[in-house]
Amino acid sequence: MIDALLEGLLLVLQWKAFAFMLLGIGVGFWVGLLPGLGGATTLALMLPFIYAMTPVEGFAFLLGMHSVVATTGDITSVLFGIPGEGTTAATILDGHAMAKKGEAGRALGAVLASSLVGALVGAAALALAIPVVRPLVLTFGSPELFMIAIVGIAFIASLSAQGGRGMLRGFLAGGVGLMVATVGQDPQAGIARYTFDSLYLWNGLDLVPVLIGIFAIPEIVDLIVRGTSIAGDLPRSRLNQGAIEGVKDTFRHFWLTIRCSLIGTFIGIMPGLGGAVAQWLAYGHAAQSARTAEERKGFGRGDVRGVLGPGAANNSKEGGSLIPTVAFGVPGSSSMAILLGGFFLLGLVPGPDMLTTHLAVTFSMVWTIVLANVITVIACFVLLNHLARVTAVRGHFLVPVILVLVFIGSYTTNNHYGDILLMLSFGAVGYLMVAGGWPRAPFVLGLVLGKIVENNLYISVARYDAAWLTRPVVLVLMALAVAAILYPLIQARRSGARSEKHA
Amino acid sequence: MHSKASLILGAGFMLLAGAAVIIAMDWPMKAKLFPLAIGIPVFCMATAEVVWGLLDPAARSEAMEFKLSEQAPGRAGAGRTVRAIVWMVGFLAAIVLLGYPFAIPLLVFLYLKLQGREGWVLSGVFALAVWGVFYVVFDQLLHLPFPAGWILQWLGLA
Repeated sequence: MIDALLEGLLLVLQWKAFAFMLLGIGVGFWVGLLPGLGGATTLALMLPFIYAMTPVEGFAFLLGMHSVVATTGDITSVLFGIPGEGTTAATILDGHAMAKKGEAGRALGAVLASSLVGALVGAAALALAIPVVRPLVLTFGSPELFMIAIVGIAFIASLSAQGGRGMLRGFLAGGVGLMVATVGQDPQAGIARYTFDSLYLWNGLDLVPVLIGIFAIPEIVDLIVRGTSIAGDLPRSRLNQGAIEGVKDTFRHFWLTIRCSLIGTFIGIMPGLGGAVAQWLAYGHAAQSARTAEERKGFGRGDVRGVLGPGAANNSKEGGSLIPTVAFGVPGSSSMAILLGGFFLLGLVPGPDMLTTHLAVTFSMVWTIVLANVITVIACFVLLNHLARVTAVRGHFLVPVILVLVFIGSYTTNNHYGDILLMLSFGAVGYLMVAGGWPRAPFVLGLVLGKIVENNLYISVARYDAAWLTRPVVLVLMALAVAAILYPLIQARRSGARSEKHA
Repeated sequence: MHSKASLILGAGFMLLAGAAVIIAMDWPMKAKLFPLAIGIPVFCMATAEVVWGLLDPAARSEAMEFKLSEQAPGRAGAGRTVRAIVWMVGFLAAIVLLGYPFAIPLLVFLYLKLQGREGWVLSGVFALAVWGVFYVVFDQLLHLPFPAGWILQWLGLA
């Protein structure tokens, strides 16, 4: 095992493989920064280039590219409030709020350091878990996957707003997200649902224009209304300071970062859930780490823990999602499905062979994730001061550039004007949600999870009738969902009683 | 603004869920199971939210996330918000009518000139620079297909 581990490292360090990895990192760096251009799409575009490569070179190129996309996507989320990637939307909530407070440097330092920790945890999980993960994956059938999704929505809905009314709005937003996900062709009966005879709606609503609309449009409107830079009138000297503070924050909340990394890894392992879910669960967990209701109010207003959680999770899921792909040929996400195509192009068959005959190649993937993330984070730290200064650029220079990125990012999802209309419509919904004090996170999680929840609910009912509700793991997850709802209420009541006592 | 936006959203979600449930009634069981399982509770929750808002309009519930700034409250803020919407809708119209390659420099130039009150030269140079980045990255490197605008098609120039 140790021999294979070292051999894997030496394979990646061969000049040709290393050069391809650097090329992949370069592509991934920019793909992550540009909103709308997804890691999965670019992976598909790059697939034809690996024909002439050896397996190690091919994976160094593809994984080098894909494993840094989430890291640089976080930068766009923090600086502009636009999700650079679908998997980096949760970073906006606190990361962009920090940038507006003049703490862009600290937010970027925190998100980069936590991304690195997350990537390392994911890579370590990939190296260690392959022999033991089989029984875990086999324990989780459709009922358990359905309940994980419900736990996720319960976590976010109950934690993303204050009080009973806030919780009602959280669940309502989550429910609307699930409802919106039903648009398009029904997976069971093939019925076109809520498509109103429009061919564009047959495939359902694409996540990218919806995410861009719901998160970026309210920010852009606010930037135009304010007429200042992102960081407002804060003194310029403060903007690029604090990167080291952000790194220190990662170690100050080290166990939170590790726990969120493990959440990301776990979600990555589970087929069908994906990175877009991992970030929100990690955000929910980070918000839950607040000890008092007062402390929790800081989330969404620039609490660094809200940056660390998603930052760690959206990078650790990479190693996690490779586990079922490599070990069983079961891709955990659309990116992994494309990567699976890469396996076949390179003449490899996922499964037991990858753990015996090609173990060194498998470990070369682990090293690629580690090295690519280390190199990217170092490069980002070198450029950090320049990146953070963007928040001081006058608003009227930024707004048209952001608008161009937003309109291109939405349009290129399906190359259809409908994507722009979709983005603007959800921009209006996002604006009203922000203006009314509604949480947007449960809506997005509901939308992301909609198809997964529906498929797994249908399979559970069809396969087990009502008996799926009595499966042990389902019962544990159900208890967890109830706890997620009750915990903030109990905490708020306790904190209210304490303040009454003090008064 | 706070309670008005909430009321609009709550009522909108209520109507949306109600319509979704009614439409789903005609589908086969396999197709309507999930829309009904979600739509009915959403309708009930939206109704509760609207009733709560009407009975106690002063009650506020803050989401733990980004808030709109209050630097320009009242009519000034509303005016600027309308202007922001006009810029976005205008950009969409320019994209459809002229295509991305013409709409992008036009938006950047007009925004800097009219909204930013910058000089002609700076506005022009910045618009050209943004167009250059668009052309190199999205057209030449990524070969993304951007259709010609309707006007160019109509004139037979595309």
